[in-house]
Amino acid sequence: MDPGSRPLTAVALNKRVRIERLDGPHQDCARLLDLGFTPGEEISVTQWAPLGDPLVVRVRGTLLALRKREAAWILVE
Amino acid sequence: MSTETAQTTTSTSKDNVVCLVGMPNSGKTTLMNALTGGNFKTANYAGVTVSLLRGRSKPEYGTPRNIVDLPGVHSSVAPSPEEELAVEVIEGRHSKVKPDAFILVADATQLERHLKFGGLVGRQGKPTVIALTMVDLLDRTGQSVNALKLSNALGIPVVPVDPRTGKGVKELFAALDGLSGMLWMGNALAQVSSEPVVAFKQVQELLRRSGAVTRGAQPDSLTSRIDRFVLHRYFGFPVFFLVLISLFAAIFWLAQPFMDLIDGAFAVAASSVTSLAPDSVVMRFLGDGVIAGLGAVAVFFPQIMILFFLMTLLEDSGYLARGATLVDRPLSYLGLHGRSFVPMLSGFACAIPAVFAARAIPARRERLLTIWILPLMSCSARLPVYALLLAALLSGAAWQAGIALAAIYVSSLLIGSLVAGVTARIFMKHRQPSLLAMELPAYRVPRWWPILRMTWARGSAYLKRAGVPIMIVSAVLWLISNFGYVPGAPIASTPMERSFASELGQKIEPVLRPMGADWRVGVGLISAFAAREVFVSSMAIVFHVDSDDEQTQQENLLDQMRTATFPDTGQKIFTPASIIGLVVFFFFSLQCFSTVAVVRKEMNSWKLAGLQLLFYTGLGYSLAVATVQTLRAFGVA
Repeated sequence: MDPGSRPLTAVALNKRVRIERLDGPHQDCARLLDLGFTPGEEISVTQWAPLGDPLVVRVRGTLLALRKREAAWILVE
Repeated sequence: MSTETAQTTTSTSKDNVVCLVGMPNSGKTTLMNALTGGNFKTANYAGVTVSLLRGRSKPEYGTPRNIVDLPGVHSSVAPSPEEELAVEVIEGRHSKVKPDAFILVADATQLERHLKFGGLVGRQGKPTVIALTMVDLLDRTGQSVNALKLSNALGIPVVPVDPRTGKGVKELFAALDGLSGMLWMGNALAQVSSEPVVAFKQVQELLRRSGAVTRGAQPDSLTSRIDRFVLHRYFGFPVFFLVLISLFAAIFWLAQPFMDLIDGAFAVAASSVTSLAPDSVVMRFLGDGVIAGLGAVAVFFPQIMILFFLMTLLEDSGYLARGATLVDRPLSYLGLHGRSFVPMLSGFACAIPAVFAARAIPARRERLLTIWILPLMSCSARLPVYALLLAALLSGAAWQAGIALAAIYVSSLLIGSLVAGVTARIFMKHRQPSLLAMELPAYRVPRWWPILRMTWARGSAYLKRAGVPIMIVSAVLWLISNFGYVPGAPIASTPMERSFASELGQKIEPVLRPMGADWRVGVGLISAFAAREVFVSSMAIVFHVDSDDEQTQQENLLDQMRTATFPDTGQKIFTPASIIGLVVFFFFSLQCFSTVAVVRKEMNSWKLAGLQLLFYTGLGYSLAVATVQTLRAFGVA
C-alpha cells in the first residue's frame, strides 16, 4: 500500500489531487466510479457545508456534494 | 385513467417516437418545452410510479413527432426508480415506450460525463442526434466547443441549442430528418465501453483527438462565487431560512385571496344548485355533496400551484441542491435525505403534493421514510380545525392562539423528525443509507415560460390524481350523513341525527368517551376523513348552527360548543382537557383518505398506505386518550 495515500476528507480546500483508488462498499464505489471518480482523475474539494458535512467536490467539470463517509472511500495520492 | 394510458401507449408504439435522453440538469425538460411548444403532459404507466413527459413536436419543425422526455440518468449503477425506467426504455426493454430515435441532450461544459453516458445510447444502434446545451455557460468556464469537429469525430450530428430561446431547435429536427430514411451507420459512441474506467478514458481520448474542445480548465466563476456565499459557514443557514420563510409567506398569504375567491364561488354555486329545487335530494346531493366536494379540492389549488411554481423556480435556478446540501447532515442523521426538505416543506401546505415532491429523492429507502412521516407535517387543512379548537380553548386574546399555533407547527416538525429517526433505527436498520453524490448544477437565471409550463403540468397532474378520490370520498360522506334507516323504507333521506353517519358515530361513542368526545364529535371526526377542514362544517351541522354569515356562524358554533353537554351525565363536552385531546388527535391522526389513496398509488402498495393510516390514527387516538386522562388525573376537567 502506498504510504502517501489519504482519504479525500483529509485534503486541503481547493487543492487538486489525483484519485488513487476507491475503498468502500462495492455497490457505492461502483456508482462513484460511474459518476466519474476513476483512478488517475484530478479532483478537488471546493467547499465544506456549514455543519461540516457534506463536502462539495469538483470532478470532470461538475460539482458533486458527497457525504463525509462517501468522500472517505476516495483515496487520493 | 388506466384506459387512457393504454390508449396513448398503443398509438405511440406505431408512430415515430423520439426519446429525449440525458443526465440530470442537462436542460432536457426545457428542451422538451421548446420542442413541443409547451404542449406536453405527464404520463404514468401501470406498476411504476415514475411519470414521463410526452407531447408532440410543433408543426413548424416538420412532420410532428411523438416526443418522450425520459428521466435524467446520473448512473445506471444502483439506479433510482427514475433512472431504472429511463435505462429500461433506452435499452428497448420497456413494454410500452419503444424509442425509434434519440435526442441525446449533452451539457457542453461537461462533455466527458455526458458523452460517457451517451455510450449507453450509442450502443442501441438507433438514429441519434446530440443536442448541445449550456453553450452560453462556456464563457463562464473559459471553454469553447466546436460542434462540427465534435460531430465529425463522433459520426453523429451535433447541434448547439438554447432550449430556453428555441435557438437551434429547427436545425436539430433537420438533422434528425437527415438521419431517418437512411441506414444508421453506427458511430463512435457505440464503441464506448460499458465499463466506466475504460469508458472515461475512451471519451477523453476521443475528445482530445477531435480537437473540438479547448479547455480553459477554469471553474465556473459565477457559480463558485454564489456558492461561497450560500454555503458559507455563517451566511448559509440565514439565507436558507430566509428562502424557507419567503416560501411559507407565499404559500399562505399570497394564496389566501385566491382561496377565498374559489371558496366563495363554490359556495354560491352549491347554494344556487340546491335552491333550484330545495326539496329534491338529487339537487342537494349535487349541491352540497358533489359541488362542495369539488370545492374542497379546488380551494387548495392556488396554494399548490404557488408551491409547485416556487419549487420549480428553486430547482431551475440551482438553489434547491444547495439547500439540500445544507440540511443533509441533520436529515441523514434521521435516516432522511438532504432533498427530503422539499417534500417536508410542501407537507405544511398539503401532504398530497408533498408525496409527489418526494420523487425528487433519488434513493428508495429515504423516499419511503420521507413519505412515511409526511402525514405529521401540519398541513393547511388542519388550520381551520385548530383555529376553531383554539378559539374554544383560549377564549381570551388572539396572541395566545397564535403562540399555541406556532407551537403546534414547530412540534409537528420535531415529532416528524423523531418518528423518522426512530423508524430508521428500528425498522430500517438493516438497510444501508444510500449514496448522496448529488450534483450541484451551475446557477442560471430562470426563464419564466418553461417554469410556468412545468408548474401547470405538475398542478394538473395533482388535480387529476388527488381530485377524483377527494370528490368520491366527500360524495360518499354526504350520502351517509343524509341517508339513514327509516322504519318501512329501508333507506331514506333523513336529518343528520338519524343518518348512517350518526348511527356510526353513536356506535363508536364508547370508543370516543375516553377522549372526552360524544357521538356528535364522532360524526365530525368521521367526516374529516374527506378533508380535515370538513370537521368544522360538520360540527356546525350536528350542533344545529344556522347562519348564512360565516363570521357569526363560527361565533354561534363556539357558543353551542361551550354549552354542549353529554345527554346522560349532563357534563360539559368541550372542556380544556377534551379540546386539548382533540388537538392531539388532529396532530397525529392521518385523517385524510386522499393522502392514503395517493400514497397507495405512489408506492404501489396498499400495505404501506394502510399501515400508515392505522399507525397514525391509532397513535392519535391513544395519545388523545392519554392526554385527556392525564389532564383529568391532575385536576384539569
